Amino acid sequence: MALLEVVGLSKTYPTGEAALKSVDIAVDAEEIVAILGLSGSGKSTLLRCINRLVEPDGGSVVFDGTDITKLDKPALRKARRHMGMIFQEFNLIDRLTVLENVLSGALGVTRTWRGVFRAFKNADIQRALELCERVGITDQIRKRADQLSGGQRQRVGIARALMQQPRILLVDEPTSSLDPKIGREVMDLLQSVAKEAKVPMLVSVHDVILARNYSDRIVGLQNGMKIFDERTASVEAESLDRIYNIAS
Amino acid sequence: MSTPAIVGNPLREPRIIFRRYAIIAIAAALVLALGKYTIVEETDWERMGSAAEIASTTLDFLPDLAFFPETFLPLLETLLIALWGTTLAVIMAIPVAYLAARNITPHPWITYPLGRGLIVLSRSTHEIIFALLFVSAVGLGPLPGIMALAVRSVGFMAKTTAEAIENASPGPIEAIRATGAWPVMVFLYGVVPQVFPIFVGNAIFQLDINIRRASILGLVGGGGIGYMFAEVMQNLRYDRAGTIVVGITTMVILGEFISNRIRNRII
Repeated sequence: MALLEVVGLSKTYPTGEAALKSVDIAVDAEEIVAILGLSGSGKSTLLRCINRLVEPDGGSVVFDGTDITKLDKPALRKARRHMGMIFQEFNLIDRLTVLENVLSGALGVTRTWRGVFRAFKNADIQRALELCERVGITDQIRKRADQLSGGQRQRVGIARALMQQPRILLVDEPTSSLDPKIGREVMDLLQSVAKEAKVPMLVSVHDVILARNYSDRIVGLQNGMKIFDERTASVEAESLDRIYNIAS
Repeated sequence: MSTPAIVGNPLREPRIIFRRYAIIAIAAALVLALGKYTIVEETDWERMGSAAEIASTTLDFLPDLAFFPETFLPLLETLLIALWGTTLAVIMAIPVAYLAARNITPHPWITYPLGRGLIVLSRSTHEIIFALLFVSAVGLGPLPGIMALAVRSVGFMAKTTAEAIENASPGPIEAIRATGAWPVMVFLYGVVPQVFPIFVGNAIFQLDINIRRASILGLVGGGGIGYMFAEVMQNLRYDRAGTIVVGITTMVILGEFISNRIRNRII
């Protein structure tokens, strides 16, 4: 059985917009799956339904044998600790330092009083420093997060997700707020940290070239429906074109 | 080139311009007419006397500088009343803001209206009325003054804080939720850093206003310089009243100067 098994996942927003229509995806250990689709095709909703930042209305998300959709709130919080998430807009805490932002990834497993006083455990601080080194932001750790460039901010976001010691990475359009060159650097970094940590990664993109270059498998979404699911090596240009409604 | 569908200047249609000026003219005429009935007829012109008499009475208010040192202690008391009142308001405003912020309030139909209601109650009542209320409850002195300012200021602090919470960017909040953190931590890391500079800025602004408010609380027994002011006015010591006015003004200006500097350093 796959590490992550999404079956019949559906979501309709209160506005009546059906963002996901019965989507099935299975992700194996150490696999990088690109979710490819236009804006509004349901990519972000799919990722957020997996850790229930968005509550799905139907279907199941089985992660390592546990159905996430059936968990109560405390159990859901525990499950989220194993899922690192990286965002298009980085979602850093602007007024805190880079190091504190990285450490905030450990909040799920930090005692309340330590969190309140930002008195993180030494082991966590050491780990955060190692991660800063790994993603190449060691020179910036004392700066406030809002003083960094976009590429550096995304590196902080990656380090924060890794701080959770995740067993899966959920990555939402990691390069859409970055220029193409920096975007590729970030994708290189994501690919290598996922391989090093030996965890699978679900990454949504709207760029066919990024999807082709950085994934083992591509899942195509259109209007909330999965329209193909193939090994990247064997994906044909024709099926990619279908996503973008390019007549062939 | 095609002919535009709109002829003339759409920003200045004569009909709209005419209506605008007509409304202003009617409003002005109304204010003047009402002024005749209120100001002209309700003023005791006999008692006002000649221009020379007016001038000499005004001159009675020239400050008596020898009295100045005696105002220091009451002025300090006024400052402390403002400081304590503001501090208590800032503390009480946090839970009220939590209730009154639409995006984090525990219940949209129970706690949200409760929070909003407390804000309206605090903001719609004058501090003098609160002071009268607390003076009758706990007696004369600085304590009812502090309580009046605290209760009066909670509304402003809670309202601006609740609005800052509502306007906080959802991104960082989402990111902290995704780490599996408890709601307390989500609030502390996702919301508080975004709201903090606004909160501190408003607290200092409120202190600034409360120094002014504290200076009149004594008129109804709420302590501070206002009590001394009422006393010298009753004794017709207009020169001393003038001194007190100078003292209050100096304190307010100093307060504003200092609070501006603190605000600029923090934000």
